[in-house]
Amino acid sequence: MSRYVLLVLLNIPLIFAALLSALVDFKLGKFTRKKYLSQTVIWIFILGALASVKFIYQFLFSNGLTQTEPLSLFDVVQITGIVVVLFMANRSRIKLETLERRVKDLHQELSISLSEYRRENEKK
Amino acid sequence: MSKLASTRVALVIPAYNEGEVMRGVVTDLYKVFKKSPYDFQIVVVDDGSKDNTSIEAKLAGAHVIKHILNTGSGGATATGLSYAQQQCFDIATTSDADGQHDPEDVLKGVEELTRKQADLLIGSRLINNAGMSRVKVLGNKGLSFITYVLFGINVTDSQSGLRVFSKRALAELKWKTSGYEFCSEMLWRAKQINLNIGEFPIKAIYTDYSTGKPHRQNNWNAFNIVKTLVARRLVEFFGE
Repeated sequence: MSRYVLLVLLNIPLIFAALLSALVDFKLGKFTRKKYLSQTVIWIFILGALASVKFIYQFLFSNGLTQTEPLSLFDVVQITGIVVVLFMANRSRIKLETLERRVKDLHQELSISLSEYRRENEKK
Repeated sequence: MSKLASTRVALVIPAYNEGEVMRGVVTDLYKVFKKSPYDFQIVVVDDGSKDNTSIEAKLAGAHVIKHILNTGSGGATATGLSYAQQQCFDIATTSDADGQHDPEDVLKGVEELTRKQADLLIGSRLINNAGMSRVKVLGNKGLSFITYVLFGINVTDSQSGLRVFSKRALAELKWKTSGYEFCSEMLWRAKQINLNIGEFPIKAIYTDYSTGKPHRQNNWNAFNIVKTLVARRLVEFFGE
């Protein structure tokens, strides 16, 4: 099997998972339409870039713009690793933002409720 | 009962370690508004102070909301305005806890809001910048320019802490940052929801106390503000 095909096959499940997660978050109302579209565009762009690695390499090599060796098995593993990290970092950032917003809202509501409670107690 | 007398005004003061001047600030505000026809309440949001800010505010007659954690000026302001909204106030104001704002200007802001039928009024120190150092003028003008470049909002003093909010603004205006950068972000959000934004001139009172404390906002802090605003703008560009 060609290493270029292997690269795409290894990364397709990750990109599919990312696209599906974005769709689910959008349908559940966690993502705005704009965010859903931007996430979809980013991951489709990554898929497109991976699928056209061979053509990009051939173009650069034939025009004397690169002197590097063709894709090695190590490169395939390395690029897949980068996509995995990107996927995880993206999900973590989304979760962190949600958590941060929840903690902020909770802190705000708790502070107001406590102030009201204290005032009621002082009246008694 | 006149219409103004039935207008409920929340005077929100976000405060952090301002125990030294807190009582004076609340008392001065109380004296000015007592003479006005408005039904008012002074709300001090103690943003997790380590000193006696809450005690001093309470002794001066303010309603105190104490944050368990220090969240920053934006977080404390959001809590105060959220309280005002929950308690069904018609108008809310925010002013600095270090005595930088003249209480008469706060009252003037409330009157201007009613007169202009605006949703958000900014008390601008730069319409008449007497009393401000050149460095402060330059820093504030720079941040107002950056606010214009990033968000397309043209105001003379984007960082002013004296602001007046209508009932609609209280209900609809939300922002995400919690530090000083909320001043610019708030204007951006107001523009997004089509609030009527205006300005009115105020005096800037700088005392040794307000300029001397180490945590006080200075021009170096402007870099942090710009950094956060640019990051926020980029995040929003890709959809929040």
